[in-house]
Amino acid sequence: MNRRPACEEAETAATAIATGSPLVQIGLPTGTRSTGFEASRRDVLSLMGFSLGALGLGSGCRAPVQHAVPLPAASTEMVPGVPNLYATTCGACSASCGLVVKQRDGRPIKIEGNDASPLTRGGTCAAGQASVLSLYDDARLRGPVWLGNPVSWEEIDRHIKTMLNAGSGDPRAVVLLSQTITSPSALAVLNDFRVAFPSFRHVVYDPMSLAALREANRLAHGAAVVPHFRFDRARVVVGLEADFLGTWLAPVEFARQWSRRRTADGERAFHVQCESGMSVTGSNADLRLAIAPSELGPFAVALLAAVARRVSDDGLAGLRGAGLAPDAPHAAAIDRIADALARHRGEALVVTGSNDVATQLVVAKLNALLGGVGKTVDLEQPSLQRQGDDAQVADLIQQMNRGAVRALIVWGANPVYDHPDGVAFTAALKKVPLTISLADRRDETGAHVRALCPDHHFLESWGDAEPVRGQFSLRQPLIAPLHDTRSGVESLLVWAGRPTDHRTRLRDFWQRELHPRALGAGPFEGFWERSLERGVVEMPQPAVAVHAFAGDWQGAVRDIVTRGGRPPTEAYELALQETVGARDGRHANNPWLQELPDPITRLTWGNVACIAPATAAAQGITTGDVVTLTTEVGKLELPAFVQPGQERRTISVAIGYGRWAAGKAGDGVGGNVFPLVRVENGLRRASAPVTLSKTGRRARLAPAQTHFSMEGRDIVQTMALGQDKHEAEHEHEHEALPNLWRERLHGAHAWGMSIDLDACTGCSACVVACQAENNVPVVGAEQVRKSRIMHWMRIDRYLEGDGEDVISHHQPMMCQHCQHAPCETVCPVLATTTSSEGINQQVYNRCIGTRYCANNCPYKVRRFNWHNFTANDDFPFNMTSPLGRLVLNPDVTVRSRGVMEKCNLCVQRIQLAKNQALLQRRPMADGDVATACQQACPTGAIVFGDLADAQSRVSKLLAGRRAYRVLEDLGTRPNVGYLKKITSKETT
Amino acid sequence: MSAGDIPITTSPAVAPTDLVQPTRWIEGSPSLHRITTDIAQPMEARPGRGWWICFGIASAALLNLLGMVTYLFAKGIGIWGLNNAVGWAFDITNFVFWIGIGHAGTLISAILLLFRQKWRTSINRSAEAMTIFAVMCAGLFPLIHMGRPWDCFFIFPYFPNQRGPLWVNFRSPLVWDVFAISTYFTISLVFWFMGMIPDLATLRDRAVGGIKKFIFRILSMGWNGSQRTWSRYEIVSLVLAALATPLVLSVHSIVSTDFATSLVPGWHTTIFPPYFVAGAIYSGFGMVLTLLLITRVTMNLQRYITFNHLEAMAKVILLTGSLVGYAYATEFFNAWYSGNVHERFHFINRATGPYAWCFYLMVLCNVLTPQVFWWKRARRSIPVLFVASILINVGMWFERFVIIVVGLHRNFLPSAWGMFYPTVFDIGILIGVFGLFFTLFLLFIRALPMIAMWEIKGVSHD
Amino acid sequence: MKVRVIVIGFAALGAGGGLLARGATRIGVHQGYAPEQPIAFPHKIHAGDNQIPCLYCHSGARTSRHAGIPSASVCMNCHGLIEKQTTEIQRLKEAVQQGRPIVWNKVHNLPDFVYFNHSQHVISGVACQRCHGAVEHMDRIEQAAPLTMGWCLGCHRSEAHVPTSTFARVAKNVRDRPTPFAGEDCTSCHY
Repeated sequence: MNRRPACEEAETAATAIATGSPLVQIGLPTGTRSTGFEASRRDVLSLMGFSLGALGLGSGCRAPVQHAVPLPAASTEMVPGVPNLYATTCGACSASCGLVVKQRDGRPIKIEGNDASPLTRGGTCAAGQASVLSLYDDARLRGPVWLGNPVSWEEIDRHIKTMLNAGSGDPRAVVLLSQTITSPSALAVLNDFRVAFPSFRHVVYDPMSLAALREANRLAHGAAVVPHFRFDRARVVVGLEADFLGTWLAPVEFARQWSRRRTADGERAFHVQCESGMSVTGSNADLRLAIAPSELGPFAVALLAAVARRVSDDGLAGLRGAGLAPDAPHAAAIDRIADALARHRGEALVVTGSNDVATQLVVAKLNALLGGVGKTVDLEQPSLQRQGDDAQVADLIQQMNRGAVRALIVWGANPVYDHPDGVAFTAALKKVPLTISLADRRDETGAHVRALCPDHHFLESWGDAEPVRGQFSLRQPLIAPLHDTRSGVESLLVWAGRPTDHRTRLRDFWQRELHPRALGAGPFEGFWERSLERGVVEMPQPAVAVHAFAGDWQGAVRDIVTRGGRPPTEAYELALQETVGARDGRHANNPWLQELPDPITRLTWGNVACIAPATAAAQGITTGDVVTLTTEVGKLELPAFVQPGQERRTISVAIGYGRWAAGKAGDGVGGNVFPLVRVENGLRRASAPVTLSKTGRRARLAPAQTHFSMEGRDIVQTMALGQDKHEAEHEHEHEALPNLWRERLHGAHAWGMSIDLDACTGCSACVVACQAENNVPVVGAEQVRKSRIMHWMRIDRYLEGDGEDVISHHQPMMCQHCQHAPCETVCPVLATTTSSEGINQQVYNRCIGTRYCANNCPYKVRRFNWHNFTANDDFPFNMTSPLGRLVLNPDVTVRSRGVMEKCNLCVQRIQLAKNQALLQRRPMADGDVATACQQACPTGAIVFGDLADAQSRVSKLLAGRRAYRVLEDLGTRPNVGYLKKITSKETT
Repeated sequence: MSAGDIPITTSPAVAPTDLVQPTRWIEGSPSLHRITTDIAQPMEARPGRGWWICFGIASAALLNLLGMVTYLFAKGIGIWGLNNAVGWAFDITNFVFWIGIGHAGTLISAILLLFRQKWRTSINRSAEAMTIFAVMCAGLFPLIHMGRPWDCFFIFPYFPNQRGPLWVNFRSPLVWDVFAISTYFTISLVFWFMGMIPDLATLRDRAVGGIKKFIFRILSMGWNGSQRTWSRYEIVSLVLAALATPLVLSVHSIVSTDFATSLVPGWHTTIFPPYFVAGAIYSGFGMVLTLLLITRVTMNLQRYITFNHLEAMAKVILLTGSLVGYAYATEFFNAWYSGNVHERFHFINRATGPYAWCFYLMVLCNVLTPQVFWWKRARRSIPVLFVASILINVGMWFERFVIIVVGLHRNFLPSAWGMFYPTVFDIGILIGVFGLFFTLFLLFIRALPMIAMWEIKGVSHD
Repeated sequence: MKVRVIVIGFAALGAGGGLLARGATRIGVHQGYAPEQPIAFPHKIHAGDNQIPCLYCHSGARTSRHAGIPSASVCMNCHGLIEKQTTEIQRLKEAVQQGRPIVWNKVHNLPDFVYFNHSQHVISGVACQRCHGAVEHMDRIEQAAPLTMGWCLGCHRSEAHVPTSTFARVAKNVRDRPTPFAGEDCTSCHY
C-alpha cells in the first residue's frame, strides 16, 4: 500500500548522476526497476484487496522481486540514505533569498532557509518552498527547439549565430528583454554581449513595477535607486498600498525585520497600513485604513501636511491649506498617524507601492522630513530589485514594430502574458527576424518565438545574486540537469562567441571582481570554498552618492491636488494585487502553490474579484456570482468574492492567474488581469477605472474555509500591549482542569510546540514547507470544493467586525498532539495513539479508515485519503507523474487510499536527530530538531522543542503568561500551545 | 397441548372495555387443520401477482446495491459526499437505522413471550425474520464504510497475529459494536430457528416433493410431537427468551455509545441509551406494521393478523413515539440548561441551520404522526396505519441523519465548518439496502411459515 | 453413529480453522527467501573463511538507514590484487570495466511503510547476525528471520533494559558503549 520511494530507486538516481547518464531516467526508471516498481505497487494493492481470499490460500502469495543497484564506483560525498545539505540561492523571485537545500540520494527534495543569510536569517516564503517542485515539472522543455522542432544545441546555436552575426554592423538593435536580474556575474556577461554586438540593449521590466519609486529618488536624492528599507529600525511604520509582509520587494526579509520590532514589550513598533484590498500586511496592521488607489496621492499629501504641521522646521505648515483636499479621507486617523510619526522622528518609515512619481516624491519628502533617510531608508546601500523601466518596454514595442530590432532574447520574462500590452507585444514579435526565449517551458511568449533555448532550473545551475548592494549570495547546482537544458548565461556566452561553462565564468568573475573587495578574505581558493559552503557573503560596496532631499515636492503636491481625488462616486476602481501563492504568475504550473489557500480569501485554484460587503449588497452581488470587469483597455469575467476590509469603491483582483501556456496544472486557472491596466506616460499602472456588471452566471469557488467568524468563542486570544506584565492577571491559567483520565507520564522527551499568534503573519510558507516535507498530496479544485483538502497545516483566518474596518487573525492549526486525545480513545484498531514522547502518532498501515477519529477531533485537523491520490489519473499532479514523484521525501510514507493522516510533528526529523545524537554519543540538545514549518517561518513564530526539558525555549514560552491552549476547557491537554496576540491601539 | 396450560390473561395493551370478554386473536374459529393449510398455503401454492411485483422491484434494487458496492470497493469512499468536516453521514445513518429496525423482533418474541402476551403469536415469526434481515442490512455498513474494507479483520481481536501480537482498542465503542451486534444476531437467529422447529416438522409431514421433504427433515431436526419434546421445547424457548431480553436493551444502548462517548456537541449526551432504545422499538414496530399490512393482504392472512393485532401495535407505537418526542425535548432542555456554548450552538443550528428541514421533518414524522393513535378509529384503519408506519420509518431515518450530520458539520472550530451533500452513490446504496431487505423478506414468506402455526393453535380456541 | 458424525464434523472444523489461522499468519512472510544473484557471491568465503568484517563492505550500516550493497569498486580494492580468477570474479571485472552497475536481487525486503535504520542498530551493538542469520556460513544469502512486526518487538521488548521514561539510557549511551535504545512507540518504525 503506502509507497515510499524505495532506496533502490534512489540509488538508480545516484547511479545516473555518477555515471552522468541522462537523468531523465531517474523518475522514469527503465527496465527492471520500472517494471519492478509498477509490479510491486499493483501487487501490494491486490494483496491487500484479496487478503481475505488469501486467508484461504494460506501463504500462497509471493512478493515481487526487488532490486538493489549500488553505485558502480563508490562516492565519498553521497551515502545512500544520508541527506546532504548545500547552500544556494533562491530563484523563485528577484529577492534571491539564501537557501540551504536538502539533497537526498542525489536529488533535491526540500528547500530550507539559510540561517547564515543576514537578510533572511533562515526564513523562506511559500513560493520559495514550492520552487523545488518546479524542478520536476513535466511541462519543462526537454531540450532546445528551433521553429517548433526539437534540435541539438549545436544546431540551434548555428542558426542563431548565423542570424546574429549576419548583420554585423547592422544598426538594428539586439535586445535582451528580462525581468530584474540581481546576479552581478550575469550582468557582467551582458557587457561581453554588448562588446560582441554594439547595438545590444538590455530592457528590464517588472510585472509589479516600481519605476516611479526610482524616478522619485532620482529627483529627490539624485540617485535612481530602490532604497533598502529597514523596518527593523522603525518604531512607526506606515504602509501605503505596499504588501511588504506578503509580496512586496523582499517579503521574507521585511517580515523578519518587522517581527523583530513587533515585540510584546514596550518597544513595540506601531504599524499602520492604508490599502484598498485586504493584504497579508494589512491583516497584521495595528491600524488599517481602507483607501482607494486614487486616494493614495491625496492621502499622502494630507499626511505630509499633518506631519509638517507637527515638525514644522521649514515652511511646510502653509501647505496645509493647499495640499489637503477638502474631503480629505480619514482626517481623524491622519492626525493620529501624524502624531505617532512625529513622536518618533528618525525611527519612522513610510513606504508606498504606488507607481506614481508624484506620490512617491511626497512620500520621499515625508521620510526626509521624519529623518528617515539614512536610518530607515537606506539609499547608499540600496536594494537592487525592481530595476524595471516601463518606458523602455513601451519604446521597445514601437521599435520592434518599426523593424528596428533584429534580434530579441527574452530571459526570465513572459511579456506576452504579464505585460499590459501583451497583445501589442505579440504582434510586434512577428516583426523581429530572430526571437529567442530562454524560458524553461514553451510559455505564452515562447509560443511566438523562433528559438526556445531552455535555461536550467535554479537548482540545476550555478549563479550568484546581489539583492541588496553588498549582500552577495552564491548559487550551486544540487543535481545534474534533468533535461537537455543549458544555463542562460552559457547560451549568451556561446552566441557572443565566448563559450565558457557557467561555473568557470562565475568563479572567474568572483575572483576578478569580488574577491579583491572582500577585506581579509585571504587567498581566493579558501574564500571561494567558504563562500560556496556558507552561501552568502557580505562585501561592503562603495556607497551610492546621494544628496539631501532636493525634489520639487511642491510641484508633486500641486500635481496631486490638481489631478483631484477619487473619481465620481459611481465609478469603481480596479486594483491589481499580488498574492503569496500566485505571485506574478511565473509559478502557475506549480500545484502546491495553486492549492495553497490564499491567507486572506482562503481560496485555492483561481482568483476572484474582491468586492466590499456594502458594495456587494448595493449591487445585489453575492460571493460566487460571475461579474464582468470592464476597463477602457480590456474586460475580464471573474467570480465575485465579498471581502470584508475591502475599500468600498475598489475591486481588487489577484495577478498571476489566467495563464494559457503554463502547463497542465496552471492553464486556464482564474483570469488574467494584466491586460486591464495601462501603461500611462511610461509607467505601469496597478489600478484603473472599471465598470462592474453581473453576468447572471455563478461560479463554484474552491475555498479551504467558508466561515470567518469565531462565533464568540475563545479560539484566537488576544491581550492588550503591556497586559502580560501585570502580575495579577492570568494567575488562574495553566492550573490543570480536573480530568477523569490518568495523568500521562511522558518518556525521555515530551515534544511540544509553541505558536506565537502575534508573530504569525499568515504568509503560508509553513503550509507549503509541511506539504513538501511530509509528501502531502495535491487534490485539485474539485476535491477542495468538497472540503477534502489534505494540508496537515492550515492557517485559519478569523474576522472581527465587517465592512471596511475589520480585525483579522491568522491562526496556524495542525494536530494539537493532545495528551488526552479524543481521537485515540475511539479508534477501534489502535491506529492512533500517543507515544511515550508525547506525539500523537498516526499509523497508516494499521488504519482501516473508520474516520471516527476525525469526527471526534475538536480541531478537525485529521485528513482522510478519500481517493488514491498517488496512483489515480483523476489527479494529474506531481504524485502521479514519474518525474514529479522524485520530490517525495523517502523518509516519509506515501499514504494510500482509505487511511487517515495528519501532522506528526515531523517525527522523521525527530527520529533522525535522535539517531544523530546517538551516533555522536551525546544527549539531545534543545534546537536539535526543527520541524519543517518552524524552519520555514520568516518571523520565528513557531518554536518546537522538548517540554520535558524545563530549560528548552518551548518550555519557557509555554510557561509564559501569553501561553494558552485552544479549546483548553475540553481537557484534551494539547502539547501544542499558542501565545496570545498583542493588540496595541497606540504607539508606546 | 402445552400452550393450552398458559393462563389466559388480557393484554395491558388492550383497551379496558376488552377486559369484559377476552379479545379474540383470530377471526372466526378455524379448525386446527384449516390453520395449517391457510398458513402453509403461501409456501405450497404458486405466488400471486402481488408477490411477483414486490419481488421484481426489490430484487432490482438489490442488483443496484451490488453494482454500487462493487464500484465503491474499486474506487474508494471518495465517491460518497463525505469530507473532512463530515466523516459519517448516510453510511452510519443507515447502520443505526437498520439496527433500530432489528429491535422489534426480539422485543416481540422475547419480552412479550415472558409477559405471556397472546397477541404476539401471529406476528412474532415475521417480526423475528425481519430482525434477522435488518441486522444483516445493518451489518453491511460498518464493513463498506471503512476506508480499507479488505483490512476489516483488524477490528476483531484474534491471536496469533504477526504484529506482536497487536490487539484492538477495547476503549473504542466500535469494538463494542462488533460484540454487541454479533451476539444479537446469533441469539436472534437461534431464537427464530427454535421457534420454527415444530412448524418445520409440520411442513416435513405435509411435504410431497422428495427434495423438499429432505430439507425440512434436516431442518426439523427429527422433531416428534411427543410430550417430552414439547416440555423441553417450552423450557428452551423460555431460557432463550430470558437470554434475548437484555439484548433488546443492550444492543442499541451500545450503538448509542458510538455517539454518547464522543465529545461532539449533540452526540456527547447521557440520555442517548434509553433514547435510542425507545427509538429502536418505535422504528421496529413501524417496520413490522408496514410489512404485516402488506403481507396479510398479499398472502390473504387477514384472519390471523387481525385488527386487534394492528391496534395493539399501534398502541406500542403511540407509547414509544411519545417517549422519543420526550427525548427530543430533553436534549434541547439540557443544551440550554448546561450553558455549554458548543452544545447550545449545536441545537440552535439544528433548528435553524441549513439542515433545519431535516429536523422539522423528523419531529413531524416521529412526534406528531403517532398522536393520531389516541383515536381508536385511527388505530383500526388500514390506510391510516399504513401511512403512519411509512412516515415513522422516514422520520426515524432522518432522526439518525440529523444527529450525525448536524453534529459534525458545524462544531468547535468555525474555520473547519463544512456541508454534506449526498451523491448518487449515497442515495443508490440507501435504496439498494431496502432492496436487500425486502428481497430476503419476500423469499422468507415463500419459503417458511410466516406465522407460528403451533402458537396460533394455542390461542385459537379461547 | 450420529455422535461419530458430529465428532468428525467438529474435528474437521477445528483442523480447518487451525490451518486457516496458520496460513493467515504466514502471509507476506518470506523467511528462507534466497534468490539467485547476478554474481554468485559467497559470503561464506568472504565473511567466513577470510573474516572480512561486515562493515568493511556494508559501510553504510554505520551511518545510514541503508546498509547498502558495496560498489564494484569496493570489491576491486581486494580483487585488484588477488590473482584467483573465477567466472564470477570475471563478471565482476567486466561490470567494473564497463562502469555498469550490478543489479542485485534484494533479499531482505521490509514493507514500504516500515522505517528501519541500520546505523541506529549497529551503534546500539546489535550483531548483524541477529537479524541476518549466520551470514558467514551462507553460500547464497537467504532471509533468516521472519522480519515480522512481532519478531521486531520481540527484541525491542526484551532489550529495553532501561525504562524509556528516563534520561538514563541516553546518559548511558554517552558514558559507555551504547546499549540498545529500543523504543516501543509506533513512531519508532512507522511514519
